[in-house]
Amino acid sequence: MAKKEKNHLYEGMYILSATLSDDARQKALDKITAGMTKRGGEVHKIFDQGRRKLAYEMEKRREGHYYLIYFSVPGNSMAEMWRDYHLNEDLIRFMTLRAEKVPEKIEFPTIVV
Amino acid sequence: MYPKKGPSENLFSKKRRQCPFTAAGVKSIDYKDIETLSKFVTERGKILPRRITGVTFNNQRMLCVAIKRARHMGLLPFVGEE
Repeated sequence: MAKKEKNHLYEGMYILSATLSDDARQKALDKITAGMTKRGGEVHKIFDQGRRKLAYEMEKRREGHYYLIYFSVPGNSMAEMWRDYHLNEDLIRFMTLRAEKVPEKIEFPTIVV
Repeated sequence: MYPKKGPSENLFSKKRRQCPFTAAGVKSIDYKDIETLSKFVTERGKILPRRITGVTFNNQRMLCVAIKRARHMGLLPFVGEE
C-alpha cells in the first residue's frame, strides 16, 4: 500500500509570457493552480507582481508577468508538476522552494550598506 | 591622559565596519529582495567579495544563494552592461 505523503508548504515563482492577453494569462494561471489542487494540494495565496522587464532574454522574450504562489502539495507530486511546467509553453520560467509560512505582505527590511 | 581620538583622526587605525545584515538583524536573505541584492553586485553583475562589503561569512553564503536564485528568475542579470 502506498504511503500517504504529507503536504508541504512551498512558494513558487512563475514567469508567464507577457504577450498573452489578460484572459489567456488567467487561463494559464488557472492551469498551474489546477495542477496543484488536482494532486491533493491547496493554494494559499497568489501575489500578482505584474509585468517586469527580464534582466536578460529568455526564450526570445524581454518581458514577463510575475506571479508568486504559496501552496501546499504532497512532496512526491513535485516531480510530476515540474514535468507539466516544462511542457507548458506559456510559462517562461518557474522556481519552487520550500517555505516556512505564508506571508501577509511581501516586504523587506532596508539594509544600509 | 590624552584626549580620545575619533576614527577619522587616527590614520593607522583600521576602520571596522559591521556586517549590514547583522546590523539590521536579518535572519534570512530573500531572493525577491532585489533592492538589497543589487547593492552587493557590481555594475557588471558580479557578486562583490565580502572583504569589500564587510558581510559575515554565513551571511555571504546566504547572499550568494539569493543572488543566484534572483539571476535564474531574471530579476538580476548574469552579465550587466559594460
